[in-house]
Amino acid sequence: MPIQLTSQAYCKMLLHAAKYPHCAVNGLLVAEKTKEKKKDSHSEPVLCVDCVPLFHGTLALAPMLEVALTLIDTWCKENNYIIAGYYQANERTKDSRPNQVAEKVAARISENFSDAAIVMVDNSRLTMSCFEPIVVIYDHHENKWKSRDVTSDCFEDWSEAQKITSALLEGRSYENLIDFDNHLDDLRNDWTNPVINKSVLDLC
Amino acid sequence: MASVSEMYDVGWEEMRDKLRKWREENCRNSEQIVDVGEELISEHASKLGDDIWIIYEQVMIAALDCSRDDLALTCLQELEKQFSDSHRVKRLSGMRLEALERYDEANKDYDAILQDDPTNTAARKRKISILKAQGKSAEAIRELNEYLEMTHPQLYQSTYCFPCHFHSYGKAAFCLEELMMTNPHNHLYCEQYAEVKYTQGGLENLELSRKYFAQALRLNNRNMRALFGLYMSASHIAASPKVSAKVKKDNMKYAAWAATQINRAYKLAGRGTKENKCSMKAVEEMLESMQITMS
Repeated sequence: MPIQLTSQAYCKMLLHAAKYPHCAVNGLLVAEKTKEKKKDSHSEPVLCVDCVPLFHGTLALAPMLEVALTLIDTWCKENNYIIAGYYQANERTKDSRPNQVAEKVAARISENFSDAAIVMVDNSRLTMSCFEPIVVIYDHHENKWKSRDVTSDCFEDWSEAQKITSALLEGRSYENLIDFDNHLDDLRNDWTNPVINKSVLDLC
Repeated sequence: MASVSEMYDVGWEEMRDKLRKWREENCRNSEQIVDVGEELISEHASKLGDDIWIIYEQVMIAALDCSRDDLALTCLQELEKQFSDSHRVKRLSGMRLEALERYDEANKDYDAILQDDPTNTAARKRKISILKAQGKSAEAIRELNEYLEMTHPQLYQSTYCFPCHFHSYGKAAFCLEELMMTNPHNHLYCEQYAEVKYTQGGLENLELSRKYFAQALRLNNRNMRALFGLYMSASHIAASPKVSAKVKKDNMKYAAWAATQINRAYKLAGRGTKENKCSMKAVEEMLESMQITMS
């Protein structure tokens, strides 16, 4: 089951990358939990409705990552979500391949969700206008992570995603994006980003 | 587009003071620095006195971050006119070349500085940054080792993040140990050291990490990372089959204490805001569920 991104998930990922242009950033993708397993569920894509920005800077340290995964897992259960994927934007512009951290986190996510995907942001193509999707999606096949061609089918509604992301980037909304690091700095910072979610909804 | 002074109703002195604050705190809020700095330079240059030179430097570096080569060049040219033979300005010229990805030319600038002054740490750091930007991680680590062998305490400061990036946790731990020795009251170094130890894994490292998380908390009882870290490390130690009953009991006590403090911190933060209740509830449940797996 390939994953699909909503506008909210896609734009928050890019806002996170834009907020910290000089750092690597990462986060989790969440999907709604479906109760029944349909017989033909193999062909239906999993819709990632939202993302939770995690860290910026040093991504490779374990304790806070564990806290974040456990906490967000609990939050997911309350909201009938499931962690379905992991995103990362590397520090260097020209490097958009998943590294050890990405593979480790994705492996952990796969324990609870077999079709977990890694979404890497291609920094070199990040622009304000977002004419084309700039993510590379990796699926796990035969013990390796293989990239998949990204088309507008990977989005619930690409033109909406493009419009909203571009508008929020121009409006510098990324200044208000909260990631888990910001939350640990001040607990009042809300990593669910209700303000940005509302902006997205308003633009839909 | 409205000027900064119009949008925020500030005068030039406030803008100048803001820039100073950002300099002192080493903030990398480049877009804001460019907005404020550009206006200050173009409209109030004559009022700034000698401050203008350090402002040119600050704005130039921020401009590089924002791909504003036009602004960066203007600032650089002013600095070059005023300080023609300065190493500090030469380094800025090198940084601009780095931003334009003209690494060979940048290296020439830095090599020239180092020939004149082999102890110039700024130039050495830039050369390592170039290797990092080019993805030459093995060479970068080699240069870093040589750099650290010069045993200048300030060097460790900016370099411990770097080994983490390449998963050389041992090196990162070493840098942090040096930093903790020279800055024993800095809770951040303690806490980051604890994180590196935890990541290295194994019972001994976990116990060390728990000790350093506790130490960080003693230095600053509001460090949430240290609090969570204490909880996680103590919980893992208590759950380990290799520890004695006494160690298990002690660590369960530490974890329980940390859990109470975490809950308290969330309650305090959640006062008055409806949205934070979801975080608080999630934390409570997370702590409860971990205690179940422990016992």
